[in-house]
Amino acid sequence: MENVMDKELRGQGDFLTLSTIAYRNIWRNGRRTILCIIAVAVAVFFNIFMQAWISGMIEGIEEAVRTYETGHVNVVSNLFEEEREYYPVQYPIADGKSATELSAEIEALPGVKAALPRITTYASLFDSTVKHALLWGIDIQRERAVNVFNLTDRDDGLIEGRFPRAGSNECAVGLEFARKAGVKIGDPIPLKTVSAQFSDKYWRPVITGIFAFDYRKFDEEVILVPIDRLQRILVLGEATQQMFIYAENADDALRLRDEVAKMLGPGQTVREWGDNYWVAYMRQTSFLYVIVFLVFQIVASFLIINTVLMIIHERIKEIGMMGALGMTRREIVTVFFLEAVFLSVLGSAVGMFFGGLVTWIGSLFPLDMDTFTGGGMKEFPVSGTIFITFSPKILMEGFVFGILVSSLCTLIPSLKSAFIEPVEALRR
Amino acid sequence: MQKYNSCGRSEIVPVVLLCAAVFSFFFLSPAVVEGEPSAAELLAQVDDNEVYDTITYTGEMIIEYQGRRYEKRFEAVAKENSDSFIEFVNQEDLGTKYLKRSGRLYVYSPDSEQVMLISGHLLKESMMGSDLSYEDTIENNKMSDRYNPSLIGSDTIDGHPAWVLDLAAKKESESYPRRKFWVDKENGDLLHAEFYALSGAKLKEYSLIRADVIHDRRFPVEFEMRDLLRKNSRTLFIMHDVVLDAPVNDSVFSMRNLER
Repeated sequence: MENVMDKELRGQGDFLTLSTIAYRNIWRNGRRTILCIIAVAVAVFFNIFMQAWISGMIEGIEEAVRTYETGHVNVVSNLFEEEREYYPVQYPIADGKSATELSAEIEALPGVKAALPRITTYASLFDSTVKHALLWGIDIQRERAVNVFNLTDRDDGLIEGRFPRAGSNECAVGLEFARKAGVKIGDPIPLKTVSAQFSDKYWRPVITGIFAFDYRKFDEEVILVPIDRLQRILVLGEATQQMFIYAENADDALRLRDEVAKMLGPGQTVREWGDNYWVAYMRQTSFLYVIVFLVFQIVASFLIINTVLMIIHERIKEIGMMGALGMTRREIVTVFFLEAVFLSVLGSAVGMFFGGLVTWIGSLFPLDMDTFTGGGMKEFPVSGTIFITFSPKILMEGFVFGILVSSLCTLIPSLKSAFIEPVEALRR
Repeated sequence: MQKYNSCGRSEIVPVVLLCAAVFSFFFLSPAVVEGEPSAAELLAQVDDNEVYDTITYTGEMIIEYQGRRYEKRFEAVAKENSDSFIEFVNQEDLGTKYLKRSGRLYVYSPDSEQVMLISGHLLKESMMGSDLSYEDTIENNKMSDRYNPSLIGSDTIDGHPAWVLDLAAKKESESYPRRKFWVDKENGDLLHAEFYALSGAKLKEYSLIRADVIHDRRFPVEFEMRDLLRKNSRTLFIMHDVVLDAPVNDSVFSMRNLER
């Protein structure tokens, strides 16, 4: 009966007592403790910062892809899909059906915010330092109602003049294009393109506006023109080369893809934005980043492991004394393990604090990637400005990840204390 | 190789594309080569036979590209292989006009309603979606002035014995640093030609399909060009109602006519 009571009393007080002992122990060598905390903090900070960076980049890619490359659901003809890199215009969707009618039919589907026809094709420029460009035919008014083209400033991206009017012989060019070609508002851009009937078509649209979408590819290569005018130039009639469908809710993309595919029948390639190469690539490689963070955390934990091993070695007599006074092996291991856990928790907390602070600042003041890359991200569908993601979820993940990895790493060295014989320890 | 219908003298007038001298070698004389002529003689015959005063015809260009077929019709007038005027009359290209004058190529498009000079990098691009480049159409000097020929042997093209000529460009600026001609031994027709890049890569191929006798000349009225850099592509040229050496008003080759 007495033994049982002792056990119960010991059990009630054990964890708190052991925790108190462990916490006091870690401050017996403050310098070493601070070093351990800093090591874990750096790892956790790195983890959080990189996660926030990658998350920001993925979000940036996804937004650029949805805005410029696919919409939520993208429709092209199968023949276009086979030669997509050349942007052929001779393969309109739905066998050349009127884009207006097609838009109306798709927009009648529940959950569709807008179905916007677009045409992209190559153009060769006359007498220009810029030899080739992309003609981007869109319904400018409708596009502006649905999309923000400048992914940084969240606006239409127009910095000078105005966008071309529907049906007009006008165009808008990107800031980088204007700089390279040495053109300004009011200048014509003589160009040649190839029509749907494989004929050379010559055109001189006049620049009415200059835009900066902060999307290098478009700012440098695109001549934005009214889609109805481009349809006429390319002898496409009412047809369109692509249809960009925007959903009320992005989560509806898969359902909409299936419904649109069913509606349009065979001969069309209907994709949802998640199928985009870069989006899929970034998603699939996410697990690699987890491995990188894990390795970094483990490396940082070596300092704690080393500390625990040193503590055990330094306190070998103390461990003998603890054993002689009646502490069980489990309790001795617990003390050392708790010391490691406290170091991990303190380090992770510090890392989380600074990680949160830096990512919060980063989310307010985006990074101009063009400064780092010199504009070398043209083929990468991402805005030139990256917003680092500030997210409590990322902070908590980094914090818990730091504690778990660091604590688990110190479990084995803590167990070493359990195999020290009190008599042998006291004899040293 | 395309089937070759032998009839009359061999000539090719790329009037279809503003009488490009690229085909000037097709203007072979009716002389039947006996024995083994020298390369220079063969090439001189080519040059001698390309000389004509004027040509007028209605042309048809059938472009087959990646399983699709595009047909274009045009009316062409050319003078002395230096001035040419072409107006497209098929619905899709209606009103598109080209003028070659003094070695320069101008285009008028109803879409722009303006005349533009085709120059620089554009000259290397495909003309009207065909397998010929603009550059091909403005070459108009004699082949013997531009290339050093050598006779490299004999061959047979679709059953026709032919001399094989290898031409090396005299100037680095030539579009094709090297060409190979297959000249019919019996009637001097240019049966086949190949155009090479500096690297030795074959860029284009020409094959004669049909030649008619017009005013005692053998005139190629149907031939095929292939741009080997384009997958599954060939362009068939067919010429109708060919009139040679008839008077042509100089005003045809004017900017005013182009803008009209």
